[in-house]
Amino acid sequence: MMTNGVVHANVFGIKDWVTPYKISVLALLYEMTASKITLPERRRLNKLILPLQQGPDLTLGQFLKTKSILSHLISFYHLLHEMADGELKDMEYFFSTLPTPFTAFDTEAYKTSVVGLFMRHMLLAYNKLSFSQVYKLYKSLQHYYHSHYAKPMDGQVPALVADDSEMDLTSIEDTVGDRVDKEELDTPLHESELQGPLSQKQAEYFLARQAYLLKNDENKALKPAALQEELNNMLKFNPDFAEAHYLNYLNSMRVQDIFLSAHSLLHYFDRLILSGNDGKSNGDEGYGRSLRYAALNLASLHCRFGHYQQADLALQEAIRIAQESNDHVCLQHCLSWLYTLEQMKGSDSTVLTEDSVKMAAHFCLPYLASLGIQSLVQQGATQGKTAHKLMDALKDTDILHWKHSLSELIEISLAQTTSIWRMYGKSTMSLQQAQLLLNMSSLEPVNFGVQQNNTEGFAVVLCHLAELHAEQVCFRVLGCSSKQIILHLKEQFPPHTQHAKLWMLCDLKIQFERHMNEGKYHLAEPLVTAIAALNQTEGLYRKAQVLKALNRNTEAYHILQQLQARCEKAKCTEMVIRVMLSTAELHWESSGFSTALPVLLQALALARQHHLQSLASETILHLAFTQLMLGVPEQALNVLHEAIEPILAHRAVMDKGRAMLLAARCQMAVAGFKPNRQGQAAASALDTLNEAAAYFSQLNCKERLRDVHYLQAQLHRSLGQILESNKSAMLFRLLDQELQSPAPPVSMRL
Amino acid sequence: MKMAALCSEFGDLLQIKKQLISVISLCKERGLLHSAKWASELAFALDPLPKDELPPTSPLTEEDAQDLDALTLAKSYFDLKEYDRAAYFLKGCRSQKAYFLYMYSRYLSGEKKKDDETVDSLGPLEKGQVRNEALRELRVELSKKHTAGELDGFTLYLYGVVLRKLDLPKEAVDVFVEGIHALPLHWGAWLELSNLVTNIEMLKSLSLPDCWIKDFFMAHMYTELQMIKEALQKYQNLIEAGFSKSTYIISQIAVAYHNIRDIDQALALFNELREQDPYRIDNMDTFSNLLYVKSMKPELSYLAHNLVEIDKYRVETCCVIGNYYSLRSQHEKAALYFQRALKLNPRCLGAWTLMGHEYMEMKNTSAAIQAYRHAIEVNKRDYRAWYGLGQTYEILKMPFYCLYYYRKAHQLRPNDSRMLVALGESYEKLSQQAEAKKCYWRAYSVGDVEKMALLKLAKLHEQLNESDDAAQCYMLYIQDIFSCGEQLEHAEVSTALRYLGQYYFKNKLYDEASLCAQRCCDYNDAREEGKALLRQISQVRDQIETPSADLFAPLSNNNTPVRRVSPLNLISFTP
Repeated sequence: MMTNGVVHANVFGIKDWVTPYKISVLALLYEMTASKITLPERRRLNKLILPLQQGPDLTLGQFLKTKSILSHLISFYHLLHEMADGELKDMEYFFSTLPTPFTAFDTEAYKTSVVGLFMRHMLLAYNKLSFSQVYKLYKSLQHYYHSHYAKPMDGQVPALVADDSEMDLTSIEDTVGDRVDKEELDTPLHESELQGPLSQKQAEYFLARQAYLLKNDENKALKPAALQEELNNMLKFNPDFAEAHYLNYLNSMRVQDIFLSAHSLLHYFDRLILSGNDGKSNGDEGYGRSLRYAALNLASLHCRFGHYQQADLALQEAIRIAQESNDHVCLQHCLSWLYTLEQMKGSDSTVLTEDSVKMAAHFCLPYLASLGIQSLVQQGATQGKTAHKLMDALKDTDILHWKHSLSELIEISLAQTTSIWRMYGKSTMSLQQAQLLLNMSSLEPVNFGVQQNNTEGFAVVLCHLAELHAEQVCFRVLGCSSKQIILHLKEQFPPHTQHAKLWMLCDLKIQFERHMNEGKYHLAEPLVTAIAALNQTEGLYRKAQVLKALNRNTEAYHILQQLQARCEKAKCTEMVIRVMLSTAELHWESSGFSTALPVLLQALALARQHHLQSLASETILHLAFTQLMLGVPEQALNVLHEAIEPILAHRAVMDKGRAMLLAARCQMAVAGFKPNRQGQAAASALDTLNEAAAYFSQLNCKERLRDVHYLQAQLHRSLGQILESNKSAMLFRLLDQELQSPAPPVSMRL
Repeated sequence: MKMAALCSEFGDLLQIKKQLISVISLCKERGLLHSAKWASELAFALDPLPKDELPPTSPLTEEDAQDLDALTLAKSYFDLKEYDRAAYFLKGCRSQKAYFLYMYSRYLSGEKKKDDETVDSLGPLEKGQVRNEALRELRVELSKKHTAGELDGFTLYLYGVVLRKLDLPKEAVDVFVEGIHALPLHWGAWLELSNLVTNIEMLKSLSLPDCWIKDFFMAHMYTELQMIKEALQKYQNLIEAGFSKSTYIISQIAVAYHNIRDIDQALALFNELREQDPYRIDNMDTFSNLLYVKSMKPELSYLAHNLVEIDKYRVETCCVIGNYYSLRSQHEKAALYFQRALKLNPRCLGAWTLMGHEYMEMKNTSAAIQAYRHAIEVNKRDYRAWYGLGQTYEILKMPFYCLYYYRKAHQLRPNDSRMLVALGESYEKLSQQAEAKKCYWRAYSVGDVEKMALLKLAKLHEQLNESDDAAQCYMLYIQDIFSCGEQLEHAEVSTALRYLGQYYFKNKLYDEASLCAQRCCDYNDAREEGKALLRQISQVRDQIETPSADLFAPLSNNNTPVRRVSPLNLISFTP
């Protein structure tokens, strides 16, 4: 076997090697078996043994720190000191005096005990060493010992050593001179040169830890550059360490480096093929298996980078190889990637997904099955499947998840429910589901002090939460505004990470809405480009909105037409309805109220069909306004009553205000026709207006506030309350001056 | 005229000879054996000097005289590879020569110990940890002297080597350049520098002394950077300037020809080299590669036996024997010999790649992948290893997967048709015909070695029912095959002729069609079809008597974008 261009004589896969650290552990164990100690101390020691034996090699300083039993330290330390400051024969003597597990029946060192096994391993390994290797081991033991004890000035040495120091004074003096030399030597060299290579176990630990952190909480992992440097260092000393290549791949994915990630991925699998093969079998085990997964991984890589054609080719390859070797599990994975890919490409993949679910269920792969169901639910939701069916499906998968403890899928499922409720316009339900996910403690064991909260599900839920909070301006009860949530998202998902686009879009949308509500169109306009960069459809829609607000109606109309065609093709119902509403608003601008009606009715039908309650009530609002304008206020009021409850319960503050304003205007109009009941009607209209004013002032929406004051002044005047009327008029005047733009005719907008 | 110009460029040959002789003695005194060997080889190629022209030995300074005894003693220990002992006796010496030898023996002692220790390391914990412990100390001492400006050319060279071993390439380049300025004649420094230059821009940015030896360096560099044309030009200049007898130059030219796969030229040169220098082992692995490619079994066998007699424990010898066994299809033995070569020198790149090829032959794909990956580890620019990896995955039926590796190989050798053909084949398997076509066409344009690209392109066009393009490609293919003169085993002229015959027949060009059909009859596998076609033609001709003048009309109407060769050109080819 050869590594790093070095021929290794030993190829028998011996994993245990005698190292200075192991010798110190041995010395400790030796002391433990030899001397009599009290029971509580023994218990503490026993607890330490396993981590010490199986953990990575520690430096002597660290080793001494982990040990809390000071009373033991002295004798153990004596042993080590004897060896390090003595001669080679002391070490040889030590090994020869180790209790042979075959003779010692009563002690812990009995041959089947943990300690005994370790000792036997060590003895075997030691006996295998050649003469020069033994000498080298001794040298490194000395180095190990002195690298810790030669720096008493650092203050890191346990106090106990200072007590003992009279006996190793000589050794300190001997080594101080060497050390100065060494420091002088070390300074001009690179840092990487100074830190030695990691041992196999240390490296494994490092990799496992970093990979875990990358998966669960990227911020706690090393920075990409630092991690890269560590990995390069590791690979320099041990190029055969395949897992390091895989981590390299993950790391490159973080910084979106296609070349390096592809390179590392292929390298990893090349290495894996070497390590994982016993025969040339193409079966379940052996390297045939890793070949299939290599192709599959390559497909997923291209998928992540949006190279759909490449991904498709790689996937076909994986499927073909898997078929050839009858690997159903792999095929199943391929199938689920296939429908994901189809979905990403924007084509309909329902049939594929259904097939995948069936097959996965057949092969007892719960993870893939419920992943497929979730995907189906998502597609069903956008295509207007009935709500209870979707919820039923989700509930069934949830049972499956809890049964198999698939915590990742539980998270996804919760996030999905949140999104679906939000889509249906039930903000309270959505809020509840979001809180459920955020407050749920994960099923995964918490390693390295990190709980898994780095997944897409969390990002989605937090984004929804932020938007909901923004709609309600702010939840004072919870003391947490949308801004804070966005800040948290920013920290949790730094801009370069995979899910960062979610919160970026969400953040932009919130800002956009705020500016639009406050009438600061010039501030909203630059956001459109940013939104378009993240989501083209959304960007176009927002652009049309801004153009409409700036009275550039023709351009807005063109964009809306274009958008509607596109969304109808992509079956994006929500957006289609919104576009229709905007088109209707454009019709109002040209006083084409009767032409707006069919559009609105179509939108209403669509919204009802897809159970989109919030959009339905929004459409009703529009309808009522149209009817008001067409001169049938009674009808309008009737229609409005249907929508006002869901709006007050679930919609944003802005919508609430608009609904109230419209209601007041309808009331006024109705009252206008029946002069005898004018007083009563006007009073109720005033109440409604006051409520609307409260909502608008919460939003700082001055334009609409101005309208409200105008209407208030009119009403007060009609009721003969001159004082109030004057007050409202003054407020109107102040706002009008502040806004400086000529007020559009009150009647012309919703 | 030209000679005169060159002479002025290279100064006086006599002068060069004198310089060489003096540098040889300098190198020898310092134990720099390879540089001394190189200089001696070159000096041998020049005419001997008359007695009175011999350069005088450099006068001894006071310090030299003082250190003379210690130096002589240390040198003799040094020659016997007792480096620590040599260093011990040189410790107090102050002359430059003694100082160099002192440092050099310490360096070599460290290297020797490193090599020895790798054999009995303490397991995976220490894997890769083994290194030359002396390097750091040497670096500190040398850098002190360097800042004080006390280093001469040889010690600067040593300093550079130490820096390179410590993975500090930038600093090393600077020091080597400085060393070359101080002592331009020391070939070792140039050679070390060449290992650190990675691209042509870097080469251009170096400021090198204007000395005749620079031409040797540039030629060497061009070969390394695969700029073979420039390299050959340089070597030609050197030969014309009077170094025609140098075996070094001959071997370098041969290697250059090997790199551009001009096999015959390279073979001729190697044969010449072996005549002049029959006991030479250097470069003989390259020679054996050539013999292997040409399947010259007896020659390869002779070479292998000859080399074994000279020295059987040389990397080159092992490689030659490996090639020999490989040619005899004894792949296990071949792999064994390549392994032996790697034991002798683990950083021997060629052996890793060749071993990969052997494992491929043995259908042991995983071992092949391992070997290729090792080769890439040693040198990332080894296109053969990348290509081999691609082939391995192609055998494993993963055409998309192997694309990556072929692409890598293609990047490294943009003008090598083999990678392009391989890429094209992979694309074809992935049914990416457009890309495949591009690859094949490009392979043909850069000069197809195996003459397969056009055939494949034609077949691809045939599949896609682009009959005009297909016919065009077959035509070019036939031309190509016949113009290269020799018979290739895999040539599918008959296929091409068959297709062309049908094509002309369909386009009602009966004269050409019958010509093709007649040619078809020369080949066994196409004879029947050729005859059938001939019969068909005569039948059709009987039915309609067409004046032959109109024959070309439909062809000219047919405006296909590709070049069109008149079908009558076929006559000039005789199979």
